[in-house]
Amino acid sequence: METRQQGAVLFSGILVLIGTLVIIQLWLLTAALEALLARDAGVLLPATLSSLVLFLINAGLLWYVVSFDRRVRRDEGRGVE
Amino acid sequence: MADGVDNSEQWREDFPVRWDVDHYLTRRELAKFLTLGSALLVGATGAIAAIGRFGFQEIRARQWIASAAALQPSGSLLFRYPTSDDPCILVRTAAGELKAYSQVCTHLSCAVRHVPDKDEFFCPCHRGFFAVADGRPLAGPPTRRLPRILLEERDGDVYAVGVEV
Repeated sequence: METRQQGAVLFSGILVLIGTLVIIQLWLLTAALEALLARDAGVLLPATLSSLVLFLINAGLLWYVVSFDRRVRRDEGRGVE
Repeated sequence: MADGVDNSEQWREDFPVRWDVDHYLTRRELAKFLTLGSALLVGATGAIAAIGRFGFQEIRARQWIASAAALQPSGSLLFRYPTSDDPCILVRTAAGELKAYSQVCTHLSCAVRHVPDKDEFFCPCHRGFFAVADGRPLAGPPTRRLPRILLEERDGDVYAVGVEV
């Protein structure tokens, strides 16, 4: 399997992971909104921090995807399979 | 056949699309889009937290509602507190106790009505019921209690002095 095909499979897995984390963030947003309407301030900060952690994980995965892509392009430029 | 492309067919020469490369690029762009959405969700959750922390001031304004004698047992009276956009309902229970709540249903903001014979509030939009004693939801779609209006009786008059959510 060539590197680009391997990358496509890898990206599929990472996309599923990122999508799952975004859905969890959506759930945190709705939970925070519900807590706000109920004036339950104790939930708001943990929800924000959890969402921030999930975003950092997503950013890390994206950074990995981009760096992987750059490496593939560089290798292809050198003629490495 | 090389790289999954059958060059023997003419249409493949006319439309030389490498699907593996195409999917590869699309997924990368989708990953960027989802991460951007993730950042926006952090911002939205943070904004909600900021509103919860700084946006709500405790309401402690005193406002005259009615004379205490004007309300008979199982009777109710509508008023607005703390602003003219906040409808509320004052109730004297069958036991003679005064209670006041926001009239806005916590489900979808319809106006609740007093049911005197049951000492309940009824929301006609989706058949939600609340207890007059403490404003908690009894039946129907509402899950949150009605905000309670704090009352003070002085010299035969009833005043609203705050809102307890």
